[in-house]
This record gives sequence, C-alpha cells and structure tokens, in this order.
Amino acid sequence: MTPFTLRQADEQDQTLNPGMSPDLATTSPQHKKAELTLVSRTTQIKERALSLLFFLCAIVAVLGVVLIFAFVAVKAVPLFKDIGFLNFIAGTKWSVAQSKFGVVPFIVGSLVVTVGALAIGAPLAILTALFLSEVAGPRARAVIRPAVELLAGIPSVVYGFFGVTVIAPVVGRLFGGAGFGPLTAWIVLSIMIVPTIAMLSEDALDSIPMGIREASFAMGATQWQTIYKVVLPAAKIGIIDATILGMGRAIGETMAVLMIVGNAPQMFAGLTKPIATLTSQIVLGMGYASGDFQTALFGMAALLFIISMGLVLTVRLLSRSKREEGQGA
Amino acid sequence: MPSLPQPKQTRWRTARLAALLTALLAASLLMSACTKGSTDIVVSGSTTVEPIAEVAGEDYSKIHPEVSVLVSGLGSSAGIEAVGDTKTADIGTSSRELKGNELKLGLKVIPIAHDGIAVVVNPSNPVKNLKMDDLRAIFAGRITNWKQVGGADEPITLVNRDESSGTRDAFTQFVMGDTPFELNAVVLPGTGQVREVIRRTKGAVGYISEGFVKGGEVRALSIDGIAPSAANISSEKYPLSRSLYFLARKDLSPAAQGYIDYVLSDAIQEGAVRDAGYLPIKLKSEGQK
Amino acid sequence: MREMFAEDRERLKELGVGAMDKSARSQARQARRVRERLANSAALTVLLIAAGITVAALAVIILYVLIHGAPSISPRFIFTWPHGVNAEGGIWPTIVSTIYVTALAMLIATPIAVLAAVYLAEYARQGRIVTIIRFAADSLASVPSIVMGLFGLAFFVDAFHLPMSMLAAALALALLMLPIIMRATEEAIRAVPRYIRWGSYGLGATKWQTVSKVVLPWAMPRIITGLVLAMGRAIGETAVVFYTMGMAINMPLTPLDSGRSMAVHLYMLAVDGINLKAAYGTALMLMIIILVLNSLAHLIQRRYRKVR
Repeated sequence: MTPFTLRQADEQDQTLNPGMSPDLATTSPQHKKAELTLVSRTTQIKERALSLLFFLCAIVAVLGVVLIFAFVAVKAVPLFKDIGFLNFIAGTKWSVAQSKFGVVPFIVGSLVVTVGALAIGAPLAILTALFLSEVAGPRARAVIRPAVELLAGIPSVVYGFFGVTVIAPVVGRLFGGAGFGPLTAWIVLSIMIVPTIAMLSEDALDSIPMGIREASFAMGATQWQTIYKVVLPAAKIGIIDATILGMGRAIGETMAVLMIVGNAPQMFAGLTKPIATLTSQIVLGMGYASGDFQTALFGMAALLFIISMGLVLTVRLLSRSKREEGQGA
Repeated sequence: MPSLPQPKQTRWRTARLAALLTALLAASLLMSACTKGSTDIVVSGSTTVEPIAEVAGEDYSKIHPEVSVLVSGLGSSAGIEAVGDTKTADIGTSSRELKGNELKLGLKVIPIAHDGIAVVVNPSNPVKNLKMDDLRAIFAGRITNWKQVGGADEPITLVNRDESSGTRDAFTQFVMGDTPFELNAVVLPGTGQVREVIRRTKGAVGYISEGFVKGGEVRALSIDGIAPSAANISSEKYPLSRSLYFLARKDLSPAAQGYIDYVLSDAIQEGAVRDAGYLPIKLKSEGQK
Repeated sequence: MREMFAEDRERLKELGVGAMDKSARSQARQARRVRERLANSAALTVLLIAAGITVAALAVIILYVLIHGAPSISPRFIFTWPHGVNAEGGIWPTIVSTIYVTALAMLIATPIAVLAAVYLAEYARQGRIVTIIRFAADSLASVPSIVMGLFGLAFFVDAFHLPMSMLAAALALALLMLPIIMRATEEAIRAVPRYIRWGSYGLGATKWQTVSKVVLPWAMPRIITGLVLAMGRAIGETAVVFYTMGMAINMPLTPLDSGRSMAVHLYMLAVDGINLKAAYGTALMLMIIILVLNSLAHLIQRRYRKVR
C-alpha cells in the first residue's frame, strides 16, 4: 500500500508539470508514512494557510476603502466645530481671506461640468459602443476598439494640456472672453469619459445572447429596429451602469478640469464664465492651506468620496435588481 | 493547449531577482547614509525668491561640491522668523521689507533683485495708462467695460492669479488693499498662461512680473502715468515695484557668505534672476547715474 | 409581431397570390418599408459618425501632441537634467522617477491583487464577505484621484511619517492599481475552461497546486495585459503622485527619495506656460510610453489568442 500512495503522489506532479520537481513528495516527509489520505497533513495545513493568505489579500481592498474614508474624514472632522457643517455644505460664499468656506459654488460647478460632459459624452459613447457591437465588421472593430482603449489610457494632464492650448482659445474666439469655463470643460471631459462608458456599454451589449437578435431579424426587422427595440432594452441596465460610472469619472476628474474651468470660486454664471469644481479647488488650495482652510479642503475630499461611493452603490443596486428581474422571468 | 511554463525555473529566477533587488536596496540605503558630511546651507522663506535661490544653489554646489544648498518656500514671514528667531535657516528670503518687531532682530538685509508687477493688456487695446483707483475698481469688478476708462467699447475680461502666487500677494498689497477681488475672473496658476490668455483675448487684463513682458505679445500699462520701465522699477518710482531680499544673521558662515556673493554675481543676476522675470539688483546704480 | 406577418402576407399578395384590389394598401405598406429602410440607414450612419468622432478625437490629440512635441524630442532632451528657473534642457530625472515609482507600485500591488483575485475566483464561497470585497474593489476603483492623493498625504506621509517619496507614492499608486489588476486577474481566471481544472483535480492535485500550476499559467497572458494597463494608469497619474512624491526634481536612489514624475512635470510646465516646448516634449514622451504599453497589451493578447 505504501509504495503505491507514494508513487501516485509522484505521478501527479510529473503529469501536471513535466520537468518540475515533485516538491510535494520531497518536501513532506509524511509521505514516507503510510497514510491513506491522498494529501498529507502538511499539505492540508499549507492549503489552509494559503487560503487564509488569499483572503487577507482580498481584504486589503476593503481595508483600503475604509482607511481612505477614515483618514480623509478625520482631517475633515474639525469642520463641524470650527466652520459649522451647515456653513460648509450650504454656504454660498467661499473666501479664504474672510474665513468663509461655503462649498455650494463648487458643488454646483462640479454638477454643471459633469452633467454637460455626460450630455455630450454619453450619447457619443453609447452610439460608438452600438456601432462596435452591432454594426462594425472585424476590420472597423480592429481600428475603433484600440482607439477607445487608447483614449482611456491618455493621462488626464495631457487632456488638460490639450484643453488649455487648443480648446480654450477656440471657445474664447467663438464666444468671447478667455475661453475658460464649463463649455470648455464639457468638450474636454466628454472626450475623457467616452472610453469608460463605451467599453462598459460594449460589454453589456456583447453579453446579450445572439439568439435574440436572430429572432428579431427573422421576423423581418431592420438592423436599426433590432437595435432600438430589442438590443437596447435588453442592455439597458448595463448601459445605465456604464453611464453612472462615467459620471463618477467626470466628477472625480481633477487635473484636466483644473486646467480648463477657470477656477473662479463663484456661482455658475454662464457657459463661458469661469467656475470652480470641488476637485479643482482642492488642488489650488492644498498648496498653501492650513487650519480651517485645510479642514474645509479635506471636507470637500470626503464629500467627493461619499459621492463616488454613492454612485458605485447605485450601480450595485441597479445590477442586483436586474439580476432579480432576470431570475423572476 | 499551450505548453505549460516550468514553474520551478521561474520560481528560482524570481527568488534570485528578489534577492538582487533587496541587496541593491540595502546598498543604496547605505550609500545615501554615507554621502553626508558636507556643509548644508538652509535657505527658506518667500516662494517668489525660491526659484532663484534654488537654481543658484544647484549651480553653486557644482562649483563647490562640498556645499549643498537646501531651499524651501514657506512665505516671507516664515523665512524671516526662520533666520532671525528660531534660527532654523542660515539665510531667510523675503519679498518685502522688514517691519515692526522684525527690525529688532538685527538681521543683515541684502537686496538680490527688483521686481515690478506689470499690468498687461492685449496689444490691440488703445488704453495706455490707468489710474491706481481705476485699476482697483477694475479688479474689484466695479468697472466692467474699457470705455469707462477711456478705451473702446469692449467688456473687460479679468485674469487673476491663484491665491498661492507671490505675484498675487504683491498685487493685493500694492493695488487692492482691503478691497476684495471680483470673483468673476479667470484664475490661472502660472505667469506664462496669464500672458498667453491676454495675448489672445481682446478685452483681457492681468498682471505679471515685468520681466515676462517681452516680445510684444502683451502690452504693459503705465500706472498713474509711470511706465514700468527698468529704471522706474529699480528706483521704486513705479507704484507696483518691490525688491527681493536675502536676510542673514551677523554670524554668517563663510560658506553661506560665498553663496550670497554667488547670487549677487553676474552669473545669477543675468541668468536665473532674469529668467524668473525679475530685474538684476545692479541696475539700481545704473538707474541713479 | 402580427404586423410583420401581415406585411409578408402583403408581399405575397403583391406577387399575385392574393387579390389585387387592395393595391392602395399595398402601396402604403411599400412606402412604409422604404421609410423603414431609410430610417435604418440613417440610424446606422449616425452610429458610424459617432464612432468616427471618437476615433477622430483620438487622432487629433495624438497628432497635435506629435506635431508640437516631435521637434523638442532628442537624445539630449531625454537624457539630460532640466536646469534653470524654467526647466530648460532635458527631463531625464523625471523619466527615471516615473519608472521607479511605477515599478515599485507594481511590485507592491501585483502579488496582493493577483492573490486577492485568486481568492475571489477560486476560494471564496459567494456570500456577504465576497459581496463586501467586490463592493470595496469597485469603490476603490472609483475613488477620485485627488481623494487618493490626499489620503496618501494624510496616511503615508502625515501618519506614518514617511517622507514625500517614491515609497509613499508607490503605496498610494498600488492602492489605485489594486482594483484594476484584481478585476483583470479575476476575469482571466474565470475564463479558464473548467475541464482543465477537473483534469488537475482528477489527478489528485490539491487546490493550490491546481491554481498555481494550471489555472494561473493558463490565465497569465490576460493577467499580464491587465498589469500593463494598470501600469499605464499609474504612469499617467498626477494628483496622487503630486501629494505623495512631491515635485522636487531629483534622481531617486532609495525608495525614500523624493522626485518628480513626468506627469507632474508636464502639469507644472503646462500650468506655468513659460517653457511650452518642454511641455509638448514631455507630453509626447508620456504618450509614447502609453502607446507602447497599450500595444504591448494588445500584442500579448493576440499571441495568446493564436496559441489557443
């Protein structure tokens, strides 16, 4: 019996990995004992320890999120005492010189910039995804998909630099003023969020079974009818998810926005009038901030964190409702 | 099925690589610990002076490898305190003169450069001169069209600097006083950008160090009839002019004295000082001729 | 649906099978068909245009950076130090700092992320804990980079008293890359066919043996693709690096040295706006690196597809 078990252990390793040393057999002396179990005790312990290690690695992500919120929030806590939460979240005036830290102008600024960027970027991205998934032949796909991926890879500073040197002058010439403001930010940001939305939407579209489309075609529907009445409704939730995540990207975008919105801490006054966003104001202030000012900036960061968590949570809930729907049907 | 890789070899290779990396790391840590033993000159203070002090420090270390110059920008007040009070710095830098209690610290004040802040407009703008009060009213948002100050019927586009900028500090001090800035102004974090935006925007007005007004891309205005010429700035006749200073205690080390002399030499005065948009200090004597 | 069948019936009638007295109705049907076909081609054209705009935007940005940046790229630009107030000269230390910090971040993030993905894909039983981990990973992926930067400053620099350094920046970047690598690895593992695992188990291999010697090697090309893309993300990151590594131009030797990455250098040059030549050059260098990394990812994926 003993030699048989031993040889079996050897064979396992040999077959699995030709040319590799049968470390299981050599490293565990237990194999010399006649045990009836296929794996030795040390191996079992090793397996246990490993799975614990993997679990700890997976927990790092949770730990990271918790720590991020904790450390940003801790720095923002004095806000409640020194500035007053209401003065902060509902205050409409930001003036460091007068110790007024109302962030409403920046929240409005972030909203204006994000909504506009979505209004331009989302349709563009979804249509691009539809083209990729439903219409394009392999050759077109081989050009467009890498292009979309590359757009995602371009550093945001490069986008910002492009915005400053190309888009802002054009906007300035067309609409008067210096060309910094929401409009410029819309144009640049909408390009930046296209890859996020397009790639995720394409995933959603690709996951729809081919059979649905074939059924539609078989009934004489045109390609557009199939897309519009069959494919889009089926992929709706996935596309909404993609759009929400694109929204997160737009709200959180920092360097590019800082370079093109004009950074005026005023309420939204017009499409070509300079404004500031939560992100841009943090960067501009962080360099020299101290005391209440720094607290306010960390408060803004905590706010951004909460917003982005909220968006992720929305996506989660949407996907779950979809899954339940799918199970119900 | 792809041929499976051979994990044993790979594992050995990774192990060897890891060992090598660790060794390298340890070696470099040791090395960095051993390279000390040179003279440090600590320079801290005004962010406006920082670039000059830094470049001069790098160049000075090239000539005198035994000296290393550590420059930090904390603001003028912090710099004065660091050299005069807490004595954490060998040299303090400041973009303003000493005042109040600072005068009693017994510091040696060494001017190293002049800086004039030019109010610049688009070259197509017919306005050549602004009264100080009008300038303030423009940046406070009370004057919104060039025709109110004798120019064309063109709305004014304000270009401001970010609040961490030393130039903005100076402009606030010279022009605005306690009057707050109009919020509806483009805030740009760099001199070059301000110049570029004013170059391409018809009704724009902003402010930059005089040294960057070159090449005719933007035009500097006279303030109260005084042009921001080199002579007017070094004599401080131009209302928006200031000097940049090094501050040192009386017991200055020879190495620090050597560094200061180097900053006052032509190499830096005509190099870094001009590159940073300021005027060399020696102009003063020429201006007084 | 019935309408569609009705349409077919009409077609049959047109062909002379049915009565001819309904020709008026059949004409209407035909008009509708034409309209549908028109709508179809119009809609498809719109899709084509949208995809065209996306590709055009990329082309414009690349061409713009290329045209303005190419004249400043030279061996001297790449291999010398910047000097003077306006960073004339080269960008060598920023290239080294960028590679240094990215490599360090990869070293930190890769093992953790890959093992975490192994846990999620192979070990974890679906349940609350897995849901929480996934949610955390998704949240981590969507944390705005400025928040990550401030966290790096508050945690690694302020609380742990690390200097602004390669190490602090690498740790913060690792956190940024973690969810990207995790997701790529998990998808790669899930794409490994079941029968391969069964084969391994059938031979009596333990779980870890199966994972380490069968599943991971099989999934490797896709994992590497994920790593390469995460690397691109780290190289282009500005806000995180800005607050954890500082902006002093320095040649990093130890992980505790500070430095300025290429992205930060570009940001400072662009924002200053005085030495735009160097800014364009730096932008082009960054784009080239990203381009090379992306093509590398594609190459790996294509080769792996051929093998399969």
